[in-house]
Amino acid sequence: MLTKLTRWSRLKSPWILHLNTGACNACDIEVVAALTPRFDVERFGILLKATPRHADVIICTGPATRQMKDRLIRIYEQTPEPKFVIAVGACAMSGCVYRGAYNVIGGIDQVIPVDVYIPGCPVRPDAVIDGVVKLLNKL
Amino acid sequence: MRFQIPIGPQHPALKEPIGLRITVEGEIIRDADIRLGYNHRGIEKLAEQKTWIQNIYLTERICGICSHSHTTCYVQGVEKLMELQPPKRGLYIRTLVAELERVHSHLLWLGVAGHEAGFDSFFMYTWRDREIVMDILERISGNRVHYGINTIGGVRRDLDELQVKYILDSLEILRKRSEYYKNLGTTEPSFVARLAGVGYLSKEDAIALCAVGPTLRASGVPMDVRKDDPYAVYDEVPFEVCTADTCDVLGRAVVRIKELFQSYNIIEYLLKNLPAGEIAVKAPRRAKPNEVVSRYEAPRGENIHYIKSNGTDKPERLKVRAPTLANYAATIKMLKNGFIADVPLIFAAIDPCICCAERAVAIVDARTGQEKVVPMNILKQISQKISANKERKREAEWPL
Amino acid sequence: MNDQALIDKANESLKDKVLAITNPAPRRIFLKVAVENLLEAVNWLKKDLGFTHLSTISGVDLGQSFEILYHFANNYCSFTIRTEIPRDNPQLPSICELIPGAILYERELQDMFGITIQNIPDPRPLLLPDDWPVGNYPLRKDWKYERPPEVIPGGKK
Repeated sequence: MLTKLTRWSRLKSPWILHLNTGACNACDIEVVAALTPRFDVERFGILLKATPRHADVIICTGPATRQMKDRLIRIYEQTPEPKFVIAVGACAMSGCVYRGAYNVIGGIDQVIPVDVYIPGCPVRPDAVIDGVVKLLNKL
Repeated sequence: MRFQIPIGPQHPALKEPIGLRITVEGEIIRDADIRLGYNHRGIEKLAEQKTWIQNIYLTERICGICSHSHTTCYVQGVEKLMELQPPKRGLYIRTLVAELERVHSHLLWLGVAGHEAGFDSFFMYTWRDREIVMDILERISGNRVHYGINTIGGVRRDLDELQVKYILDSLEILRKRSEYYKNLGTTEPSFVARLAGVGYLSKEDAIALCAVGPTLRASGVPMDVRKDDPYAVYDEVPFEVCTADTCDVLGRAVVRIKELFQSYNIIEYLLKNLPAGEIAVKAPRRAKPNEVVSRYEAPRGENIHYIKSNGTDKPERLKVRAPTLANYAATIKMLKNGFIADVPLIFAAIDPCICCAERAVAIVDARTGQEKVVPMNILKQISQKISANKERKREAEWPL
Repeated sequence: MNDQALIDKANESLKDKVLAITNPAPRRIFLKVAVENLLEAVNWLKKDLGFTHLSTISGVDLGQSFEILYHFANNYCSFTIRTEIPRDNPQLPSICELIPGAILYERELQDMFGITIQNIPDPRPLLLPDDWPVGNYPLRKDWKYERPPEVIPGGKK
């Protein structure tokens, strides 16, 4: 009964944590633009949260930089189970133009497991919404 | 009793996720220290391995909000190295996109400032209207954020009559809306009370610490690369350099609102005087050994690229200094003797990238070493409580 | 104020300390001084000509030596002071006394080129990660980076 309830509430209202792991900010403003009146993800019950301890879904933008690696793992561990990771943008998938730079490890999946990849440089807010909805369908 | 507070690195306030260590006595910040490098990707090294054309797209991805600034600054430099003169129409379109970018960046910043001051409806309003600018940019270039419109020797996409008309129509709406923000943002008593006097940076300090952009202009120094060292077509376009002399966050807001109106005028002038002709000239693959300093006024301040070529199709050295780095030293100065609760607002004031709403601050208790995570919204509530209480003592000592 | 007047003033005040002065483009002046005279030149530029704004400091690896460029700006032009230091003994005086805003750029130079800045108020690393191996300076030309092989999650198909 309780698991049914949590599953239902998770489907209806996933809380997201937005994490910049070294992005150029383009994906970040598009993620925030998805929260503002034109796109408005709050109508799906999606809320942006400040701390990983409240979040269900981590939205990662940008390639994983060497300095962020340990922090990324720490934030992943702080998120309560079950947790999902969405890699937003080409950088988070593979490193994009920064591939081969000395301080970039590569995509997010080199550090933590990723559930959904959203391509685009930068992604459009519609694509972010689509990605989150696809993740919900997987649950 | 002094405490140390680490802020970040999960900190979308700045372009880079950045680590801050703040030493406080009670509520008052005594010292601040900055640790960069969370977002350091090694672009300068990477640029040495890529060709001149590939580097346009690399420099575009230095920053997502002022993507056009970095490419323009880079492309201008390379054009000088290759001794190219881009056609007039190309330069007009380049300047047009630059000004549209300034409008979107300043609208974004206004929203963020409103959000940090606890005025969320202002945030939603400005971000809704920002979408109008994004639509224009999408019509011109095909993309919302990384326009990819610059190329060596001109621009890649032309404007047609319909687009010009569409931009002029949208500009009318934006003007009307900005007029409303101007009244709201500068006369709304609670908003003004929250911004006034916060993050004080005197004129002397601003000059000594080499601050740039609206941060510098809000301290009463009329320095603007567009006027001082005109590039593209700024020597033909009439506009004014906007300054304020209050030296605080309110002044920075006023400067940005004034600049919005200047930008609308520039855009209108550019569209009405758009010359006919080609938009780009063909560029060679190599550049002769030479060096160039290229300057550009990005929405946040002076952007400078130093480019050195060595006769091949790759640069010998590309040095990039983005405006935010120049403002860090000034930020530390602004934070000192302020309140912890003002940290988000002061950060927001130098840089419009603080878009991503809330972030977490870990508070380490120096006595027990225990770590506590406080979300920014609680800090904001504290700050609003403080600003409600009008009697502020700047130099108050904590009774411990 | 024009370019020629600035060049004349430089020749007049610094006399034989000027190693070279060029004016490759309008509003761009490059002045070369020896490293011993760097502080004097910066002081002269700040006090006598009123160039208070330091845009940035760039370093270039020339092979046998490092070239350091101090880009100053005022409301007319961009004035660059350049100096050269030998690669085997990279020592540079700090200009933070004169221009407090230079601190971040000097720390960046230390990180990227392994140049020792004398009398720097705050010598800690700025940009490179905490676990960065000592003695690696990424912007030196002989420093090469090899990308480690990537793991494809779920294996290659």
